Amino acid sequence: MDAAPAVAVALAGATYVYPGSSAGVRDIDLEIASGEMLVCIGPSGCGKTTLLRLIAGFVKPQAGSIRLGGRDVTGADARSRECGIVFQSYALFPHMTVRDNVGYALRVRGVAGGERAKRAGRMLELVGLSAYADRLPAALSGGQQQRVALARALVFEPRALLLDEPLSALDAATRVAMRDEIRRIQRERAIATLLITHDQDEALSLADRIAVMREGRLVQVDTPQAIYDAPASGFIAGFVGRANVLDATVAGADAVDTPVGRLVTRVHGREAGAKVAVLIRPERVEPVGDRETGDNLLAVAIERDRFFGATRALDARIGASRLAIETSSRAPVRRVRIARDAIQFLDPVPPSKEAT
Amino acid sequence: MTAARAPRFVRLVTAVYLAYLAAPIALLFVGSFGNLWLNTLLPSGFTFRWYAEVATDPSFRRAFVSSLTVAALVVVLCVVVGLPLAYAVFRARRPAVRAVARVLYQLPVALPALVLAFGFIRAFSSDALPWLGSVWLLVAGHLVLGLPYFLQAVVADMQRLNLRVLEAAAESLGANGAQRFFQIVLPSLRHSILAGLIVVAALSIGEFQFSNLVAGFLNRTYPVVQLQAFYGATGFACAATVVLLALALAASFAGAASTGGAIRPAQVH
Repeated sequence: MDAAPAVAVALAGATYVYPGSSAGVRDIDLEIASGEMLVCIGPSGCGKTTLLRLIAGFVKPQAGSIRLGGRDVTGADARSRECGIVFQSYALFPHMTVRDNVGYALRVRGVAGGERAKRAGRMLELVGLSAYADRLPAALSGGQQQRVALARALVFEPRALLLDEPLSALDAATRVAMRDEIRRIQRERAIATLLITHDQDEALSLADRIAVMREGRLVQVDTPQAIYDAPASGFIAGFVGRANVLDATVAGADAVDTPVGRLVTRVHGREAGAKVAVLIRPERVEPVGDRETGDNLLAVAIERDRFFGATRALDARIGASRLAIETSSRAPVRRVRIARDAIQFLDPVPPSKEAT
Repeated sequence: MTAARAPRFVRLVTAVYLAYLAAPIALLFVGSFGNLWLNTLLPSGFTFRWYAEVATDPSFRRAFVSSLTVAALVVVLCVVVGLPLAYAVFRARRPAVRAVARVLYQLPVALPALVLAFGFIRAFSSDALPWLGSVWLLVAGHLVLGLPYFLQAVVADMQRLNLRVLEAAAESLGANGAQRFFQIVLPSLRHSILAGLIVVAALSIGEFQFSNLVAGFLNRTYPVVQLQAFYGATGFACAATVVLLALALAASFAGAASTGGAIRPAQVH
């Protein structure tokens, strides 16, 4: 087998704005490595589906370039790009059996009937639907249709796999099972994959890397952990995971003043009086007993208490401001502690200070 | 079904309505086999001779063939003209274009066939376009009258199937334009195309207003000739009408069978 190029999908300055509107994507630089699962996440209308359509070839960039497997495909049509696509609605051909759906890409490539059925059969085995090969799509459940769509998109060994909100039409239980299924198959085929979603759990649990999109631009591309632990902005912090983002003022070398009070933390050379935004994840707000002493202890009044089994999500009031808390403790919460290292600055350190 | 039975009153109204609907048809049947039917409630005697007379009457034979020919041509043209038109309406980007197209293609539904016929007579009896009496004028008229129903059925099906996404999927899988059309678009629309065509064929077979004014003497369609039957023997008129009824019923049964086929796979779970 030929060694696959390390970079399977590469966009450089790719721009597409829908005629007569400002919607679209602008100046996208993005690479997906061979075998990598890149999850693009963003609110609806942020341009993530346009990004997929650009790579698929359904729209052509007005500026910039797109390369697939080392080949420049900027002007190529969708047919010659050889991307396997799973559509949000699955788009299974209603008049064809499951086997014929899966084998369709082989049929248009002139693969003979017997060979076609054999290869389609192997893909159906991979997705666990061998028993359904002779059914029509309408006779399958949503999750099964999803798997047929996946098998159909993979049967011709595409250069990349593109999934457009593949799980959004499924019920919650099926969604989690399919998430693992997609990951397993993607790993097994070692194929460069772009998955579009607006579901942060899906992004965090599936991705090798996450690309966060907002208003047509990529605002951060990094591993799930890095995105969660070191988001580049309050928007990202709030979009990936739950977040308390507080406006604060630097109050000296080791403290910030926030609406919930003065918090002790390292300010990394920021000047006193500087306006900053700080992020505190709800699970880092730690309920403590009445006798606890030390820094960053806050008395809270609980406004809402939602029980999820393993965890509880609380809305706490401190003076006039609110703080989201997540805890596995079942005890009543009256005081909390925020560890020094749980307080993160969202604005970048000014360059001059960073150097010192 | 475990649903509660309808109240007695509703059942009574339904029964009366069905009887009202079926009675004339039943009487037609009875009359077509009756030897003599004058001022009595039911005819007397049993005979096949009215059917034999209809079958041997040259003008009825000719009209029967005319009707089938016109209907067949209308159906073929409906596919050739209607399918691209449906696709154009479906693919139109701007909502305004789609709205205008919808009004235009539904206009003939609201327009009486009589108005269309007078228009045709005005246009085609002139020296410039002396085609009045040609079978193609009948075909053209029936096409205008039937096309809206065809378009409605097919465009609705295109929207229901989300045809654009199906095409995009086929394209991404490597299908070229012809493959997409013949392997995806046409077969996935086959039920609505068939159902639409059956409505168009039934309309064409039963159409009277327009045909009566526009048809030439040699290509009069069945309903036009049938009008003459009412001036003759009652049994003959009944038999002639039953033949038309049979044609119409055949069309609706074919329609029901095809739409039934379209619905069934979706109900299996």
